[in-house]
Amino acid sequence: MQKTDLLDKLQNIVGKERVSASAAELYCYSFDASQVRGMPEFVIRPTTTAQVSDVVRLAWEKGISVTARGAGTGLAGGSVPVEGGLVLDMSSMDRVIEMDFDNLQVVVEPGIVQEKLNLVLEPYGFFFPPDPGSSAMCTLGGLIANNGSGMRSVKYGTTRNYVLGLEVVLADGTVINTGSKTMKSVAGYSLTDLFVGSEGTLGIITKAILKVRALPKERSVLLASFENPELAGKAVVKVLSSGIVPSACEILDSNIIDAINTYDPKVGLPRAGAILMFEMDGTENAVNEGIAMIADACSSLATDIRTAANKKEREEIWAARRLVGAAVSRLDPMRTRVYVGEDIGVPIKEIPRMLHKVREISEEFDLPIMTYGHIGDGNLHTGMCIDVLDDRDWEKLNKAADKIHRTAISIGGTVTAEHGVGGARAEYLEMELGKALDVMILIKKALDPRGILNPGKMGV
Amino acid sequence: MTGYDMRSILKCVRCGTCRSVCPVFDVVGWESASSRGRMLVAHGISQGLEVDESVLNSINMCTTCGICEQLCPSGAAPPKVIENIRHQLVLQGKMTQAQKDISSRANELGNTLGETGERMAWLGESGADVREKADYVYFAGCLGSYRYPELTRRTFDILKKFGVTVLKDEVCCGSPLLRTGSDPLALVSRNLEQIKATGAHTVITGCAGCYTTLKNDYPDDLKVIHVSEFLADRLAEMDLKKLDLKVSYHDPCHLGRCNGVFDAPRDIITSICDLKEMKNIRERSRCCGAGGGVLKGYPELSLELSKKRAGDIPEGVDYLVTSCPLCRTNLKRGSPEVEVLDIIDLLEMAMEQKP
Repeated sequence: MQKTDLLDKLQNIVGKERVSASAAELYCYSFDASQVRGMPEFVIRPTTTAQVSDVVRLAWEKGISVTARGAGTGLAGGSVPVEGGLVLDMSSMDRVIEMDFDNLQVVVEPGIVQEKLNLVLEPYGFFFPPDPGSSAMCTLGGLIANNGSGMRSVKYGTTRNYVLGLEVVLADGTVINTGSKTMKSVAGYSLTDLFVGSEGTLGIITKAILKVRALPKERSVLLASFENPELAGKAVVKVLSSGIVPSACEILDSNIIDAINTYDPKVGLPRAGAILMFEMDGTENAVNEGIAMIADACSSLATDIRTAANKKEREEIWAARRLVGAAVSRLDPMRTRVYVGEDIGVPIKEIPRMLHKVREISEEFDLPIMTYGHIGDGNLHTGMCIDVLDDRDWEKLNKAADKIHRTAISIGGTVTAEHGVGGARAEYLEMELGKALDVMILIKKALDPRGILNPGKMGV
Repeated sequence: MTGYDMRSILKCVRCGTCRSVCPVFDVVGWESASSRGRMLVAHGISQGLEVDESVLNSINMCTTCGICEQLCPSGAAPPKVIENIRHQLVLQGKMTQAQKDISSRANELGNTLGETGERMAWLGESGADVREKADYVYFAGCLGSYRYPELTRRTFDILKKFGVTVLKDEVCCGSPLLRTGSDPLALVSRNLEQIKATGAHTVITGCAGCYTTLKNDYPDDLKVIHVSEFLADRLAEMDLKKLDLKVSYHDPCHLGRCNGVFDAPRDIITSICDLKEMKNIRERSRCCGAGGGVLKGYPELSLELSKKRAGDIPEGVDYLVTSCPLCRTNLKRGSPEVEVLDIIDLLEMAMEQKP
């Protein structure tokens, strides 16, 4: 099909102003925050499900690939069109369609930003719990497609736990609805669960029914300092195995502590080999009791234990923590954070072992590797900053990332706990999933036999 | 491209924090209109991306408001990258008509407005007894001289009582050229020579663009203060009465966020009437939409940005006050319901004895 014909058809569907093939736009949409690259032929910004359906049907008929994109904040190339074709920028579909608080749910379009949804919900006393570091910019569609989570997943779980139903455009343009507004349903296969975390390879999400929760009455933050990350890891195991369920449990190593203090000096974290940040939420009594129990569990391992004095201090700590993944770049003007090997997950009991392995890998490749993340659910983020103009640094970085991935799998972990597979980690799926990957490929073929939906991702 | 520039571009980790606050992206909606997008386009240019109209628009739609730099976790400085890329492209002859007009007018006429009249005409009779030498010199700016001559004369009349002088042959400070990639050296030299001739240790200006340029782009030994800073320190000497007014205040980006002048205008306001803050203030203030050559180059976009900013004005205020004539000009376009005043207009209302 001639490019001009395709442009005409796309413009007829979404309007002239909502299709671009300009040099600037194509270049911008060839990136996300990962190292994966792919240049689209057209970028389309639909505003309705019908438009998405028509565009996908056209792509199906012509055999053109379609890659959905939210805010492009992904760390694995999930929204990068590695085989060209069309990018559907869903960020214009950003309405809250329905707020049904009696049923503890809302219906949203996929382009709404996580934080904006929570700003809408807050006056009503509700919130959507999955809380990624990118909450100020990532869209719900991206969060659902990657089954993202974040700092509060140790208590509240991942996005999957909040998706009751979806409207999805299938590869041939057919629109289906999965799930329902009921809190439970076992009517058929859980297609909702199939699409959550499918990274746009099986269908394009155009609407979501989401569970929301009542805002907790109280929150409190406890910071525990340790001589090294391994001791902090042991404290986490101790806290969680004693039956406490914190609403967040984060680890920061010494470099990350420096990065946070550099990004926002007001936070003023204590200097330590590692800090655990615990948050308790709930009623006042439950919060106070939980904080006391955490302090008790950490006391034999920690060198210092303190609590945030007030809401302002607590919010400053969390705001800085959310952005620390990028803020590590501030530690050295010659170095920039590169997101590779950054999202492993391991069984909780293996956390100290994995932390030790990361330190060994750091020494082996002579590359500083910072560790932080949602240690309460075994999700460790490793942060590597390199001189991006130095090819040797890149080589070391990629080798270290590869070893981190393989080590995580070898101790029963995963290469990605919340950021997604995309194009960045697809090569590890066979190793991690074995024959289960064959089933994924069968599902992909059944739902997208022409292979037009986000090709080149997830190993399918 | 210099090594420094590449490092500045590559400091961006594409996390998208800026995308959530970039006022231009908020209006336009395409990635290339976001701060992150512009950093990518700058990267593309450095790697040989063909500079067509879309690339020029991406690079030139930035107001250089700096909220991206303020919030960037990785320490990138997009406005500096953008100004540098604009400069590199101008050197290659790749620029918009607006950029060409700004440069040629400033260099030929000494102002960016296309005005051919006598710049210092605003002085009128106030120019009769101007001191040759003084510790302080008032820099009126292009907008002050040609668009708000009365306000400028009245401002100088107040300043004159404190021994302030004015340049005899002031020309554009060079801000519009610097922001849009052109070379301001001839203008800078001409102003600097005159400033030195007055013997002044401090330049006073009422314009945020002039302020940041004189302060950050002129030689280091020049001390620069905003007229609000100068007068906030002298309120006790000004015989002011209380006004039964409630006003709000818009922080000009190049005065507030970029240079930290937040308190002086507020000190003046709160000393004479009630201040009810806008929705986004100080470091988080939203751009009026005029800076960086956007008002000249993209007037419709600039108007939409101004309307968005006007949406931050709280209910029930009598005026919106600001301390930059460019912000004032654009906010007037976007805020037809609330009158926009300069901080000196408000101050004058409270002066028992008018200058």
